[in-house]
Amino acid sequence: MSTTAKNLVNQPYKYGFVTQIESDTIPPGLSEDVVRLIWAKKNEPEFMLDFRLKAYRKWQAMTEPNWAAVKYPPIDYQKIICYSAPKQKKAKLNSLEEVDPTLLETFEKLGIPLSEQKRLSNVAVDAVFDSVSIATTFREKLAKEGVIFCSISEAVHEYPELVQKYLGSVVPTGDNFYAALNSAVFSDGSFVYIPKGVHCPMELSTYFRINNGESGQFERTLIIAEEGSYVSYLEGCTAPMFDTNQLHAAVVELVALDNAEIKYSTVQNWYAGDEKGKGGIYNFVTKRGLCQGVNSKISWTQVETGSAITWKYPSCVLIGDNSVGEFYSVALTNNAQQADTGTKMIHIGKNTRSTIISKGISAGRSENSYRGLVKIGPNAEGARNYSQCDSMLIGDNARANTFPYIQVQNPNGKVEHEASTSKIGEDQLFYLAQRGISAEDAVSMMISGFCKDVFSQLPMEFAVEADRLLSLKLEGSVG
Amino acid sequence: MVSETFIKPSAADKRVAKLQELLAQVSGSRGDSRIAPTVAESQSRARAILSELAIPSTKDEEWRFTDLSSLLDINFQLAGPAAVDVFALADSELDETANSRLVFVNGIYVPELSSVAGLPAGVQVGNLSAGNFPEIASYLAQQQGGQEVFTALNTAGLADAAVVWVPANTIIETPIHLVFLTAAGATPVWSQPRALVVAQRGSACTIIEEYAAARGTWCAQEASNCYLTNAVTEIWLAENAQVKHDRIQREATNAFHISKTAVSQAKDSRYTCTAVTSGAKLSRHNLEIFQAGEGTETVLNGLAGISNSQVADAHTAVILNHPHGIVRQLHKCIADGNAHAVFNGKIFVAKAAQLTDASQLNRNLLLSRKAKVDTKPQLEIIADNVKCSHGATVSQLEPQEMFYLQSRGLDPATSRNLLIDGFAGEILAQLSIPALGAKLSRCIACRTDN
Amino acid sequence: MIIDNSEVILSVRDLTAEIDGNQILKGLTLEIKAGEIHAIMGPNGSGKSTFSKILAGHPAYTVTGGEVIFKGKNLLELEPEERAREGVFLAFQYPVEIPGVSNTDFLRASCNARRKHHGLPELDAFDFEDLIQEKLQIVQMDPSFLSRSVNQGFSGGEKKRNEILQMAILEPKLGILDETDSGLDIDALKIVANGVNQLSNAENAMLVITHYQRLLNYIVPDFIHVMEGGRILTSGTKELALELEARGYDWVKEELAVGV
Repeated sequence: MSTTAKNLVNQPYKYGFVTQIESDTIPPGLSEDVVRLIWAKKNEPEFMLDFRLKAYRKWQAMTEPNWAAVKYPPIDYQKIICYSAPKQKKAKLNSLEEVDPTLLETFEKLGIPLSEQKRLSNVAVDAVFDSVSIATTFREKLAKEGVIFCSISEAVHEYPELVQKYLGSVVPTGDNFYAALNSAVFSDGSFVYIPKGVHCPMELSTYFRINNGESGQFERTLIIAEEGSYVSYLEGCTAPMFDTNQLHAAVVELVALDNAEIKYSTVQNWYAGDEKGKGGIYNFVTKRGLCQGVNSKISWTQVETGSAITWKYPSCVLIGDNSVGEFYSVALTNNAQQADTGTKMIHIGKNTRSTIISKGISAGRSENSYRGLVKIGPNAEGARNYSQCDSMLIGDNARANTFPYIQVQNPNGKVEHEASTSKIGEDQLFYLAQRGISAEDAVSMMISGFCKDVFSQLPMEFAVEADRLLSLKLEGSVG
Repeated sequence: MVSETFIKPSAADKRVAKLQELLAQVSGSRGDSRIAPTVAESQSRARAILSELAIPSTKDEEWRFTDLSSLLDINFQLAGPAAVDVFALADSELDETANSRLVFVNGIYVPELSSVAGLPAGVQVGNLSAGNFPEIASYLAQQQGGQEVFTALNTAGLADAAVVWVPANTIIETPIHLVFLTAAGATPVWSQPRALVVAQRGSACTIIEEYAAARGTWCAQEASNCYLTNAVTEIWLAENAQVKHDRIQREATNAFHISKTAVSQAKDSRYTCTAVTSGAKLSRHNLEIFQAGEGTETVLNGLAGISNSQVADAHTAVILNHPHGIVRQLHKCIADGNAHAVFNGKIFVAKAAQLTDASQLNRNLLLSRKAKVDTKPQLEIIADNVKCSHGATVSQLEPQEMFYLQSRGLDPATSRNLLIDGFAGEILAQLSIPALGAKLSRCIACRTDN
Repeated sequence: MIIDNSEVILSVRDLTAEIDGNQILKGLTLEIKAGEIHAIMGPNGSGKSTFSKILAGHPAYTVTGGEVIFKGKNLLELEPEERAREGVFLAFQYPVEIPGVSNTDFLRASCNARRKHHGLPELDAFDFEDLIQEKLQIVQMDPSFLSRSVNQGFSGGEKKRNEILQMAILEPKLGILDETDSGLDIDALKIVANGVNQLSNAENAMLVITHYQRLLNYIVPDFIHVMEGGRILTSGTKELALELEARGYDWVKEELAVGV
């Protein structure tokens, strides 16, 4: 690969700064006492202690999964700080004015202004800093429609019956190692409830920021869409640059009832480590949506560009007849990044449909794997799936793998799978140059073309952002 | 004490015995002086291999889905010359190939039914034992993969063959029709048709290869008795040569058809195979392509239209060992009744085959609850700079589509046939003679008619 | 056609070049004038494809000596995209696929890159649509090609026709066809040749590199050069090609040996 190519990838990570703020941090380590301490700090009702302890006990009996195509040194869970929150003057904040200005500045610097004057006009934002939610915008406006959008800590206090009913209903406490860990110690995250028949008037968004170098982030998101409702939700993530690795083990649960639709988009740009692979976030996340009702629909769109290691399979369990699951993904890895990501589409109800479009781009000496399961259960008459997994290699040292698993237990199901691997290398660039197109234009043309099917699924404001993010990430990698 | 009379031969012994019995029947053809020494060598090699082999069982990975047990109990006798008249051919007759046709019955050349008067000068088309093919030594029985049991059996008994020899830079517009018929007798018979096509540098030709029962009808009624065809076809394409190959298998519905097509492609050559299977109780076609030079293009179209308790097994393999190879494969199966379709599509991209562009798609249409399909796309890719895609689908007739057509006044049977036709038409349209496609389309329609 | 005193489009003198330390071109000299069609023939490994890639500026090759003057400019000093914009067009032996990028978008980007370079206004989608519809006729291509991704899933013949379509749109001064006929079926070969004949005029020149004589039944060159061992061994007219096909390249070597 020529020098032009190499220069295109190594763009500095502009979200790598650390906010100097006094924190309320518990000592590192994980035990029943720590679980109780977190529960007490958050002043949660009794059922939450049961939930957390049950999860903790299950976690103790579990071992870390090792089937993913990723490599990392053993994690010492006794060295991780499970709870860290910026110190606030008051226990409960009544308005944005009471938030520490340092925090507001941090989010402004990240491009997420929270104040009334500057905030995005059609997106409501929940800002999460280390373990706690700082502020949620547009709450009143949303409340008028009956939409609840707040931090999950608040939801535990204000809507305990909803939380108790749905928390852990999609991802059970003992679902997997990281989900169990999250269930035991999760500190904050977002909660969304869309009442019957309501089409949520604006995009909802959560912005996650890890600031503390030793703390893990265990956030929990729960979205419930009642009958006939619609919501589009977007999450964004960044972290400072540290030489050490931070663990991010989140759980996201979605529930769509009859005729409801949830669109969940992620632009993940956690710190990926340096060129040599030092530092970066371990992003071990469990995301699952339940299409509980008939004709319900859950659509996952993800643009994964950050993290040292990504382990993530946003899935849909299609229970309701005629329900629809979708997964659109662009996963980009560069330098020493590793990603093992994909989805699971579990068809249980009749005439359920799912679509999987996965685009993996690997540059540098990174490793990028698609892993997906399509399962058509015995009663899923007329179920259909279409999967397309494309990989693009940039340069000669990157690797891409595809692991599609297909299980069909009903003869009346229809499963289609397509896969391809292509490359941006010297030959491709020379061809375009011979047609008068410069290397930079050639790369951006090829990348946008490759990702088109996924970006078109993102809310418009973020599609542009995603396209730009990708070009930045690849700058210097080709040539 | 176990009485010897009560020891049943094991299944494995039976398979060995059956193969030896078949081999013994063809041993008479040894040492035909008109065939070159290299061919004689291949023959003795084949015999040597066969002494260590058996009729395959489902425990062999290559035969996992296709069970040959039913063949073991039938006492097949090697077919001899049959008295045939022009009516035997009637079904297979095509206006376009009236003067570019070779007919073999029971593997034996029938000059009365053949004519190659319509071909340009320099092109040599005829049967091996009568013709003069001095250069045949480098081609006949010289393809890779000859050690496979049925191929070896055919080679061991090789006595005659259909030969098409196209000289350099000769373009033949007229399709050449190779017709292999079986005249079933009072007892079960078997035969071993053989064909060889050599397209020299820069030449182009179209071959229609057809297997059927003599005096059958187009929809392949049962022949008076069951029979076995074990066919082998070798095709060689020199640099920049082009061969279009239509392969029609419409044997009688109580026949067994086992066959191999081995193709070797030199640099810049183009091979297109459109293989349509509608006949035989049990059929197996092994199609093997060796891309033996840079910039070769291989297009494989396949269609199986089967019903009742038919089994149609297509095993294809494309072996790429040079840069810039192109492979386009579309294989379709329509299965009705208790029929069982098998597709195993292997594409092997060796380290040297950089910049390969391969795509494979297998689509299956099941018309009944009991019809079955086993599909196994198998892409083995060692080269790192390639583009390979594959896909497989299994589906039924869509109720919405049926309903739509019915809502426009078509009765269910017509709607169904229209949809099946649409599914099959994509492949049939690739055949070089439209009339042939139309005949096959009718054939598949009546085959799948409830 | 040979025109007296027409403009020299390409002048190559004593060109030497190597890849990975192996010398491929060993003193190649060639002059091409406006209006002319030249053909280079030669056995595998004679350096004829390498020559076409060097003219287009492929980064893998290093020019070690000699000069290449294109319309009075030193071609070797230009980047590949600058050469393209100046009017050097290479029809690739193996055109590259670009998934997700439609043929139209690609062709328009390419066409506008050249127009911008020459100070011409860029074409908008509508004007370009008109231009491309007209050019499609030249290669008898179905308009549905335009919405498909560049070369993706195309057959060998379709890829080559797409190359000629690009040449028709970019209207180069020098069109180089690198073994465009290799692996092409007869129908596609006729279409490609016909396209080249239509595009050839008194203002431009064509350099046809081929391994097979067959192409020259359809494109009649003014000059034929036989390449061997990285240089031009002999030059002649169409008859030379027939002789070569019938008697092989060794014959040329022997003839020359006798001549010496």
